[in-house]
Amino acid sequence: MPAGKHKSRQRYRKVFVRTPGGNVKIHFRERKPSKAICAIYGTPLAGVPRERPAKMRNMPKSAKRPERPYGGVLSSKAMREIMKDKARTLLAKIRGESQ
Amino acid sequence: MSLFDVGRLCMKLAGRDAGRACVVVEKVDDRFVVVDGATRRRKVNVGHLEPLAETISLKNKASHNEVKKEFEKLGLAVWDKKSKTHEARVKRQKKKSTKPTVDKKAAKKVEKKEVKVEEAKPEIKAEVKQEV
Repeated sequence: MPAGKHKSRQRYRKVFVRTPGGNVKIHFRERKPSKAICAIYGTPLAGVPRERPAKMRNMPKSAKRPERPYGGVLSSKAMREIMKDKARTLLAKIRGESQ
Repeated sequence: MSLFDVGRLCMKLAGRDAGRACVVVEKVDDRFVVVDGATRRRKVNVGHLEPLAETISLKNKASHNEVKKEFEKLGLAVWDKKSKTHEARVKRQKKKSTKPTVDKKAAKKVEKKEVKVEEAKPEIKAEVKQEV
């Protein structure tokens, strides 16, 4: 009988492994979390690994998300649109300084 | 005459410098320009820049200091960091304790030397006495 924690298939997934003796055994491996998604478009984010929190905790910060503003939160497309809006406010600021 | 001529103020849209203001310092070709300012001084693709309506009067291939002066007039920050070389990076050092450190090996050597000197002196004295 499988252990109780293996029955629900919420956390663990079944993997059929062929052993050196030729038999097939069932192994249980932890499921990976879902892909990180963009907060605006909902598209999967590139450069963000799908790992369990314990593994993510031991990773360097630069390996966990792209090294740019809003990295790991927004996709590059969404970030660029925000920056274009920011450019308008910057222009207003420059004109205010020069006057 | 194109949009990205020397002196055009822009905002960087891509990469780690995204959201920072910069100015075109040199035009490489139709696709690439060299920018400087609040970003690192580097060659960038024109597609990664958002041009602003303002321009600055700059000569071609203007130095970083010239750009800095113009940016200060506009009230904009300038990127002044330089990446460190491998040798220049400061290594982490352990905190030194406040107690005065004593080198045990050196202290032992000094003790031994002192002992030898003390032993040698009485022999000489004894010889002198015999001669007398």
